[in-house]
Parts: sequence; structure tokens; C-alpha cells
Amino acid sequence: MRRLGREPVGLALLGLLYGLAVGGLILGSNHVDGRLAYAGLGLLVGWSFIGTGVFASWRRPANRFGGLLTAVGFAWITSGLYAANPPVIFMFGLLFGNVWIVLLAQALLAYPSGELETQREHRIMAAAWTSGLLLQIPVVLFLGTPDDHFCKDCPSNPLLLVDNQATTQVFLVLQGVVGVAALVGLTVVLVQRWRAAAPARRKELGNVLWLGLAAAVLFSLQLSLQTLQLDGAVANLVFLLAMVCVVAVPYGFLAGILRTRFSRAEAVNELVERLGATPAGEGGLRDALATALEDPDLSLAYWLPGQSRYVDAAGRPVELPQRGSDRAVCPVEREGRPIGAIIHDAALSEHTDLIRAAGAAAALALENERLDAEVRARVEDLRESRARIVQAADEERRRLERDLHDGAQQRLVALALTLRVARSKMDGDPEQAAALLDEAAAELGLATEELRELARGIHPAVLTDRGLGPALDALAGRAPLPVELKQLPGDRLPAPVESAAYFVVSEALTNVSKYAQASYAQVSVERVNGRVTVEVRDDGVGGADPARGSGLRGLADRVSALDGRLEVDSEQGRGTTVRAVVPCE
Amino acid sequence: MRVAVAEDSVLLREGIVRLLTEAGIDVVAQSGDAEDLLRKVRAHKPDVAITDIRMPPSHTDEGLKAAQQIRSELPQVGVLVLSQYVEQAYAMELLADNAAGLGYLLKDRVADVDAFLDAVRRVADGGSALDPEVVSQLIGRRRRDDPLEELTPRERDVLGLMAEGRSNGAIAEELVVTERAVEKHVTSIFSKLDLSSSGQDHRRVLAVLAYLRA
Repeated sequence: MRRLGREPVGLALLGLLYGLAVGGLILGSNHVDGRLAYAGLGLLVGWSFIGTGVFASWRRPANRFGGLLTAVGFAWITSGLYAANPPVIFMFGLLFGNVWIVLLAQALLAYPSGELETQREHRIMAAAWTSGLLLQIPVVLFLGTPDDHFCKDCPSNPLLLVDNQATTQVFLVLQGVVGVAALVGLTVVLVQRWRAAAPARRKELGNVLWLGLAAAVLFSLQLSLQTLQLDGAVANLVFLLAMVCVVAVPYGFLAGILRTRFSRAEAVNELVERLGATPAGEGGLRDALATALEDPDLSLAYWLPGQSRYVDAAGRPVELPQRGSDRAVCPVEREGRPIGAIIHDAALSEHTDLIRAAGAAAALALENERLDAEVRARVEDLRESRARIVQAADEERRRLERDLHDGAQQRLVALALTLRVARSKMDGDPEQAAALLDEAAAELGLATEELRELARGIHPAVLTDRGLGPALDALAGRAPLPVELKQLPGDRLPAPVESAAYFVVSEALTNVSKYAQASYAQVSVERVNGRVTVEVRDDGVGGADPARGSGLRGLADRVSALDGRLEVDSEQGRGTTVRAVVPCE
Repeated sequence: MRVAVAEDSVLLREGIVRLLTEAGIDVVAQSGDAEDLLRKVRAHKPDVAITDIRMPPSHTDEGLKAAQQIRSELPQVGVLVLSQYVEQAYAMELLADNAAGLGYLLKDRVADVDAFLDAVRRVADGGSALDPEVVSQLIGRRRRDDPLEELTPRERDVLGLMAEGRSNGAIAEELVVTERAVEKHVTSIFSKLDLSSSGQDHRRVLAVLAYLRA
């Protein structure tokens, strides 16, 4: 909790002294009835507002609601100056006597954020200030006191311009009409605010909204009655009821804070107990947190440190809400490491400490679910890569079928034809028959060559027989650019690793010759500390996008099938380096 | 001339045997695997042992090992290794430091009967026969600051044929030029590549290959 600073204490002290001074003036008044009750009740109301306001400001310094409550308290006490005997002070009280209600309207309109947010709210406040302060000026200017009708014992009005009852009356009616309009506007805003509030917020905001609503309705009724100069007794009763509501506003505000604080703290306690008693099952943790924080839409995201991203419980990637949206994020850490985040209603952001408490309580369970989610994310990745591998294998088979069909098979068919023709020419035209047979032999040579190339593409026998060195050497020899084999392992590697390394180099060199516009490439395969690193580096144009080609994607799958990873560094103009790292004990 | 043939595909083996027999060559032994070949070569001591690389039982490089065994055990027996595909790595293993009486050819070459018989005779006479495919892989290999770029196209042709193990006479015939012209090309090549020339064809092969491998 924050320490009580100098400013709030000073403000509270000032309110206390101001109240006492005004109370003294009231007690010595010669023109008001029930002075003791007037002074006592007046101070109680003023101090309630000042006290609550100071408390609210200290709790949330950024929120101006507390400041508004304090201002209402001071303005309320100021209105008591009306009871003062010195004419100047009396006149001051008369002139500013309505300011407290204007400020109260502003506080209610600005609740709970402390700011006026819409154009409509600003217009309501403009009307309120017009009625409460601006129109009060002409009223005072034409109000002659003491006056038999209005106040026969009051001090004389030092601001009096002309004593004109009719003019005063006109401005009073104007004041009433504008004031009622402002109060009706306030009523509408408060009703809408209540309806828009999330269930979790209603418990906290309800008191102030309802009390403010009641006060606004009653004041507008009273002001209407007064303006129309209807039954004075009824108007007084309504005013009294309205005042009861007003007095209750600061207490309702405090009760709302305490109630939600207690209920949430209790919910967090319950959460701790529940999580301690039984391990949270599927979605159990989320439900428990949603209940505790009263946000049914609450969701959890789990941090995967290896991949630096958030996933949900099913292992799917999660996008965190942006700042300014209606959802907010509270990260959860355990032993200083991020393990996840609680995604909650932005309205709950005022209670970050509570969410943190809930997060801390749930950290262990969240860590467990995080591990679950991590496994699921892995499974999800595997499922996707397996699907891609199957697809790649299918495509490869289709390509082979096409190559066989368009190549060797066609040649063999043609060959059969050529041989038949040669056979028929054997007796009549032995010379042409011989030419045809030569042609057939040549055709056959091409067919064999094609089959040999095809077989090499499927799996080079030298890789199995002699290992990576000779196989890569052959690959380098066939490449259309100079390829230097910088480093090769002395011993044979496990077959799957050799195979993956070979195809990484093969694909990388294919890409180099197709896209890189390189003049030179370097290949190295190194086995260090239980890991084999395969690297193909060129001096070409760079800018290769690993997400683009299906070739690199396929390589990444092949490498990750061995628990390895594939990296591509390809800054524009800096050449490309393809690097695969595969564990190999 | 006496020859032993090892090839696990009966069809191909009989084809080769027929081809040799028709050319007047005496096929003294036929084998379906490397063990059997070794035994028969030791018994018959033929002029040339022709062997496939992939044979039972493991179908990997049995023939290659048998070839090396023969070369170290019976240096007077020439060895001609046939393979479905050729790899420089195998060529280098076979050659080691001696190209005399050694051949390494694609199986396809059998179809070109004259060239094949020529290779068999060369190996029998202690010469070499390296498949053009291996040679072209070596010569075609791209290098930084490639010294081969200094050679004229004709000189590159001559270099390739030398690497295959052809004699100057054979090269002249192949390129339809005089043997004198071939000699001039050879001298020029050796000086451009800064190689010391050596007399016999199979030594020349080794020098050229060593150069190309470097």
C-alpha cells in the first residue's frame, strides 16, 4: 500500500479547519433557523466528501474522481457561508451556494474514470455550470436583501444593482429550466452507464451510480416543483430525500470499494485453497480464475520460451490483445521467468494487484498447464510437419512417376517400335535394318542414363556405401559453380543424419545455383559436442525467404524430424547461409 | 586372352560372355559373387578379371573390394570394374597410386562393343580405362581461378582422353588428327598445367587425375 503523502493530509486538515470556521459562522448566524443542526449536518456532509475524496485520490492518484469529491466537500461547506452575518461573506455564500451540486453532477458524470469522455457529457456540464453559477450572478444582482419574502433577517446585499423582484424571478425560472435539463441528462447517462457495466463492475460501481441516479431524479423533481412554484412542502420533502441520497454518495463509494475488495480477496483465497486441494483439470484453472476475478470471458495464454510466443491450452498460437482494446493482459511469472498471461476485461485493470495476487496463487497450476500446452504445441507442430512430409512424399512419387513415364518408358516404347521395324527390314534392306539397330542402341543408352540420374536423385548409392564425404564431393563436382568442401567429419555418421545432411546440402546448392547469383559456395559439416552442424554459405545476392520455397520448408521438416533445427541467414546483399543443426550422440 | 567375369545378373553376365567369346576372347571363369570370383581368379590367373561392384550378399561394394584384393594379391591380373553408376570416390579408391592394368567403366559401355573390347585389351596389356563420365565429372568440376580455362577446347578433349587412359595413337584416331599433332597438344597441356610429363600412358593417367583432384 502507498504511504499517506503530505498533500492529502494537508488537504484533509484544510477541510477540517475550513469546516470549523464556517461552522462557527453558522452558529453565530442571525438569519437562519436550527443553527446547531444546520452547522452539524453541514459539516458532516462536507467532511464526508472531503475525507472520501482524499482517500480516493490517495488510492488512485491518476483518477480525478477523488479530487472532484473533495471539491464537492469544499463547495458544500462554502454554501454554508450563506449563514454568515458579514454582508460580503453572506453574498459570497449566496453567489457560490449552488456550486457543490454542479461539482457533484460532474463527479457523477465522470464516475468511475474521473474524466468527462463524450461530447454529451461536456454539454450536460455546460448546462449545469450555466444554471448553478452563471445564472446565479444576475439573480444576486437583482435580489434585494433583507427582503420580507425571501429572507427578512439577511444582511444587505453588497452586490445589489437594482432591487427588482420580477427580474430575479425570470432568472430563477431560467435557472430552473436549464438545471432540470442538466439533471435529466445526468440521469440518462447514469442509467446507460449502469447498463453498459460488466457484471464484475456493477458490484463496485452500483452504489454510486444508483445513489447519483436517485439524487439526480429527486433534484430535477424538486427543481421543477420550485420553478413552477408548486407546493412548497412537497418540494422541501423531495429536497430532503435528495439530500439523503447525496450524503450517502461518499459512503456508497467506500462501500463499493470495500465490498469488491473483500469479495475478490476472498475469491483469491478460495482460489488458493481450491488449487491447493485438487490439481486443476482441463480448463479448471481458467474457470477458477474467471470465478475469482468475476470475468466470465477471462482466458489464459501460456508462454513457450523456446519459440518466444504464447499459445492456448490446445497449443495453438495466441495473439495478445492490443493496448486500448477492451481486453487487457497481466503477465504471470514464476521464479522470475515468464510462464503465461491472464487475458482479462480491461475494466479490471484498476485491480492489477488483485489479478497479480490471483496470478501468483495460480502460478504453479499455470506452470503445469503451460507444460501441457507446450507439449500440445509440439504435437501440433509435429502433426503439421508430418502432414507436410506425407504431402512432400506424395509429390515426390508423382514427380518420379512423371519422370519415368515421360522419360525411360517412352524411350523403351519407341525402342520396341524401332526394333520391330528393323526386324521387318532385315531381309529386304539389311543396310537400313543395321542403321535402325544402331539407332535403337543409342536410344537405349539414353534410357539407361536417364534411369541412372533418376536413381541418384532418389538416393545416391555412394552416400550409403562411402558416406557423406564422397557423396558431397560428387555433389560439389556436379554443381554449376565452384563449391569448396571446407570441413567434413572423419567418421561415418548415423544414416539418418548423413541423409539429412546430404539433402540439406543438395537443396541448398540447388537454390544457390537457381537464385543466389553466387560465384562460389562453401560447404562444411562439423560434429562438435554431440551436434552435427551442416552449413552451406554462398557469396550471392541474399534475400532468400525461408518461408517461401517448399524446398526449404521440406528441409526444415526433415531436420526437425531428427530434433534438429534449420536456420537461414540471408540478408540482402550479404549472401545466404543455410545451417542445419542436428543432435548426434 | 583369358578373362574371368563376375556379375550377379545372369542375363547381363551371359551377354558379356557371349560378346567376349564372339570377339575371340577366352572366358575361363564365370561367377555370381565376389567370393567365387576371388577363388576362380586365384586358380586361373586370367589376364583380366571383369567384375560388377554390387553383388551378393550385401549388394554394396563387394566387387570393389574383390578388385582391390586381386590387385594387391595378383598384380599381373588386370581388373576391369563395371558399375551401374560411376563415382569419383570409387575411381580414386581403385586407382590408389597405380593406374596400371585397371579399368572402371559404366555398365552401359558394354553396349558399345568395340570401345568395350578396346578397354578390355588395354587393361589386359597393363594400361588403364577410365570411364568418360568420371573424367568429365573431374574436368567439368568448377574451380575458382580454374587453370583449365587456359586450355583450348581441343586441348581439353585431349586431356579428357588422356585421363581415360588412351594412348596418343588412340587419341589421334578418335580426334581424327595425326599422332604428331596429339603429341604437340600433350606437351602444351603439360606445360600449361605445370605437370612433368611421363612416358607411359597409365602413369600419365595418374598424373592428370592427381592434378584434377587437387
